[in-house]
Amino acid sequence: MPAPGARAETAAGSIPADDQAPPKEELCLRIKERKVIVDELSNLKRNRKVYRQQQNSNIFFLADRTEMLSENKNILDELRKEYQEIENSEKTKVKK
Amino acid sequence: MEASPDPGPHASASAAAAAPLRAAEVARLREEQEKVVTNCQEKIQHWKKVDNDYDALQERLSTLPDKLSYNIMVPLGPFAFMPGKLVHTNEITVLLGDNWFAKCSAKQAVGLVEHRKEHVRKTIDDLKKVMKNFESRVEFTEDLQKMSDAAGDIVDIREEIKSDFEFKAKHRIAHKPHSKPKTSDIFEADFANGMKSKDLLADRELWERLEELERQEELLGELNTKTDTVIANGEDATSSEEEKEDQNINVNRMHQITDSVFSSSCYNNVTNSEMFNGHMNSQLNCSINGANSYSNEEEEEDDDDDNNSESDHDALGIEDNSIPTIYFSHTVEPKRVRINTGKNTTLKFSEKKEEAKRKRRNSSGSGHSAQELPSIKTPADIYRVFVDLVNGEYVPRKSILKSRSRENSVCSDTSESSAADFDDKRVVLRSISCEEASCSDTSESILEEQQNHQKKPLPLSGSPEAFSGTVIEKEFLSSSLTPHPAMAHPVLPTIPERKEVLSEVSEENTKRVSKFKATRLQQKN
Repeated sequence: MPAPGARAETAAGSIPADDQAPPKEELCLRIKERKVIVDELSNLKRNRKVYRQQQNSNIFFLADRTEMLSENKNILDELRKEYQEIENSEKTKVKK
Repeated sequence: MEASPDPGPHASASAAAAAPLRAAEVARLREEQEKVVTNCQEKIQHWKKVDNDYDALQERLSTLPDKLSYNIMVPLGPFAFMPGKLVHTNEITVLLGDNWFAKCSAKQAVGLVEHRKEHVRKTIDDLKKVMKNFESRVEFTEDLQKMSDAAGDIVDIREEIKSDFEFKAKHRIAHKPHSKPKTSDIFEADFANGMKSKDLLADRELWERLEELERQEELLGELNTKTDTVIANGEDATSSEEEKEDQNINVNRMHQITDSVFSSSCYNNVTNSEMFNGHMNSQLNCSINGANSYSNEEEEEDDDDDNNSESDHDALGIEDNSIPTIYFSHTVEPKRVRINTGKNTTLKFSEKKEEAKRKRRNSSGSGHSAQELPSIKTPADIYRVFVDLVNGEYVPRKSILKSRSRENSVCSDTSESSAADFDDKRVVLRSISCEEASCSDTSESILEEQQNHQKKPLPLSGSPEAFSGTVIEKEFLSSSLTPHPAMAHPVLPTIPERKEVLSEVSEENTKRVSKFKATRLQQKN
């Protein structure tokens, strides 16, 4: 019943710590992570349990798989938007 | 005042000399400032992470009581988990610090977290301020570098100003504490030169005045006894400026006349004075008793001694202000007592110090044993006096040595009455030593044995033990103290001992005294 694999991924995707102006490389890395998480969550079996790690501690709280999936999708979208913005701003700078 | 003429030439010189250094120094300054900036950035990052963690914790705590129980994976060590349930969701144990915990509700815990977050934010703000400050400084140093590279004039002006400030600050720092003595030194040096050349009549007047003061001192010394004078010279800052001048002059002349002997004597005296001071500190009354005994029996010798002691202290001169250090050394000796009474570790420590002192004595005054002996004897005398005074009642000889002996004897006797006597004796240290002594009898010196024999009535058993243990103290005290214990009784024995010591010393000391006065005479001549 329990799905250790799922737990690990969700742990990584706990809470996005967004700095005000993350550099482009870091943003890229985060997007990759989120992509993996979303893929893993979407490929889990229905009866798999998903745990979410409490930040800065070792406790894993049981979470809902679909909720986690949707949450991570949202986060991924936001990150992509940020990435786009940065790229656009850089382009505009280059043009200027 | 004196500094004012100096800074001009110094400033110009420093400016000229600093010019080549500037580039490297400025570069280094910039490096350091940049280091600070990067350090602040790292710290800010760390604190931001902490703040982020607290945010997450706060969110979790705020939602924790929403459900009665949570299904969780309970961590068993860093890598093992087992499924479990989190219950009591509204019962939080908060670490207050130092392994103290407080039980509180989730809401209260949220408040605590908020409080901590405030602190974190404050530190972050402070770090940011520091970082900004140093960033601006880095900019300034960059500008300075450019300026210095471009135009040396501006830089030179700055250098001068800096040098002025430095000089003034240094002089102020140096003069404020010892301003009076230093001025007095200068004046004295001038006087000495003038006297030698016989140029100044005012100097003669001063010398006459000084002689009068000396006579007064002698009279006072006779009245007050040696111990008082010694103590006054060494410890009391109350002595008038005139006396200080005298001391300073004496010091100068002494150095001229006798260098090696004087230095050695100084060391010896210092050690002795330490002994005196320690005991004196413990009990001032002792000095009075000792003084009386001295004054009555030995006036001439006392004079010599006084002169010697004064000269020694004078030699120490301004450094006498370091008397506190002397006190420390004496405090060490009481530690010895403790050591003797008590435990191996303390014994070792004391032994080391004793060895160091011995080495000093040997190195400094091998040829001047006579001085060492008298000086040592005087402290021993003080000890005896002190003991007597402590007793005050004259009933028991409660000098430190005696107290030890009693303690040891008591220990052997296993009588609490002796311990009570110790308590009466005044000093906590001694009381401790007594307790320790009860535990361990060993390390008492021959002195103790002698004292025991003399005092004997109390403990016979302690004496043999003292013999065994005495070796350490024998070495330490043998030169100085051994004669005293032989004398045993506080007042009478001490006097003869002192006489002997004084007589020995007096031969040399008289010369010294003559030096003391001779310097003046020489100047007059």
